[in-house]
Amino acid sequence: MTTQAKLIQGKSGGVKPRLHGLKALLTHQTFRRIVQTAVAVFITFLAIQHVIIGENGPVVSASAEAFCPLGGLETLYKFITAGGSFVSHTHLSNVVLVVAVLAVALLLRSAFCGWICPLGFLQDLVSNFSGVLQKRIPGLRRGISSLKKRGARLAVLDRYLRYMKYLVLAWAVGGSAYFGYMVFRDFDPWSALLNIAEFSFTPGIVVLVITLVASFFIERPWCRYACPLGAASGILGKVSPIYLKREESACTSCKICTNACPMGLEIHKATTITSVDCNSCLECVGACPRNGALEVKFGLPLIGK
Amino acid sequence: MRINPIVYGVLVLTVFFGIIMGFQAAGFWSISGKVDTSGEAMQPSATDVNTIKGWMTLEQIVTTYNVPLADLLKQFELPSDTKSTTAIKDLESDLFSVTNLRTWLKSRTQPAGVLQTTSTTPVPTQTVVSTPDSSKVVTPVPTGHVAPAKTITGKTTFQELLDWGVSKDVVQKVIGTDLPAPAVVIKDFVTGNGLEFTTIKTQLQVEVDKTK
Repeated sequence: MTTQAKLIQGKSGGVKPRLHGLKALLTHQTFRRIVQTAVAVFITFLAIQHVIIGENGPVVSASAEAFCPLGGLETLYKFITAGGSFVSHTHLSNVVLVVAVLAVALLLRSAFCGWICPLGFLQDLVSNFSGVLQKRIPGLRRGISSLKKRGARLAVLDRYLRYMKYLVLAWAVGGSAYFGYMVFRDFDPWSALLNIAEFSFTPGIVVLVITLVASFFIERPWCRYACPLGAASGILGKVSPIYLKREESACTSCKICTNACPMGLEIHKATTITSVDCNSCLECVGACPRNGALEVKFGLPLIGK
Repeated sequence: MRINPIVYGVLVLTVFFGIIMGFQAAGFWSISGKVDTSGEAMQPSATDVNTIKGWMTLEQIVTTYNVPLADLLKQFELPSDTKSTTAIKDLESDLFSVTNLRTWLKSRTQPAGVLQTTSTTPVPTQTVVSTPDSSKVVTPVPTGHVAPAKTITGKTTFQELLDWGVSKDVVQKVIGTDLPAPAVVIKDFVTGNGLEFTTIKTQLQVEVDKTK
């Protein structure tokens, strides 16, 4: 059996060779984690620096909110229509960041969500911690597994809940445009986390706690159901020339890819993965045990060829 | 065409950070309202007191308008040991505010006898004195009935106003529109609607004082 497996390694549909040592670490998954960690460390540094230096220091310390692309999305209408002015708590940096996020979406799908977003990374960390605990505590694993099985019956609900993020997007962007201030800010878990040192209780704190607790049971709950930036990015990503291709002839439908997807997409059933919910983390590609069964492709937008 | 996942990651970072660095190189970047696009700290204009903002320090005011710090502190009855690096908004009281400071500074630059307060609304806590031999033209008179806890600042919400006893109708009259969600910060709402926060704040503070 081992000899057979060795024989078909490297061929399309063959088993991918098992990597050892340093080679096992030099994967895109490691690369992605390094990028996510670096961005999260940078934002944490900014937030701490802003708290320590405050607003009266000898140097201007940027608020970490100045590096939030969602702020850019919320202020974009005013920026365009009011001659370059901004809604409160936003700056030129927010506009630049949202342009960068949307450009990435247009060219490379929602890769910002999967590779850079620190709130996504925070959810990943909680989910990974949950995974570690489940490995060590069989009772917890059985409990969560049982919950997931019961939750699977609510697949229809899951499908409809995913539309909620578009409502949040309309509320955040439309509300800011109409009222002239960030109507979503008080409900934004990311803003709540960045301003946690102010000890002000906002609905955003509640949303943040719910998101982190939910991340213990399902991966990326905020991204799946409520993130307005992910919604905008996903819509633009639809016209991106990048897509994932599942080669049916090489695939054994083992569902490893589906189980690896943090967004809960059924990869093993699709042939071309162009879902608006795909955050391009490529966990499915890394998890796939077969050569050429699941690959990142460059082709015609929308058609996926 | 197949793309290696690592190459894909490199492309993502290149596009994302490349765009940001491109904008930065073009001077299209600012992380704070306190600095301009070239990264230089925003300064008040010596010819326009309306450029004074709450986050500016006393040092900036003293330097730009050539006012002795001691005079400024004495004028607004601020502690004499107040550091010059303190921001204006951190010293706000019923005596000292951005509006009052602007009025006072403007009065110093105008010939005596032609002075007027810049505020278009009545401010009962101020008395305009127009005497030729007085260097202190605007003399704020303490009302003595405004508790510090009931002073409107940049962080005060509409809910706090309502809690202090100011009626919804009065607030709506001052802001000139329907009351937004009570949890909204007044400053955010006012500036978002293109209004001058210090003007609205002064009017609302008058209403707060009336409830005492």
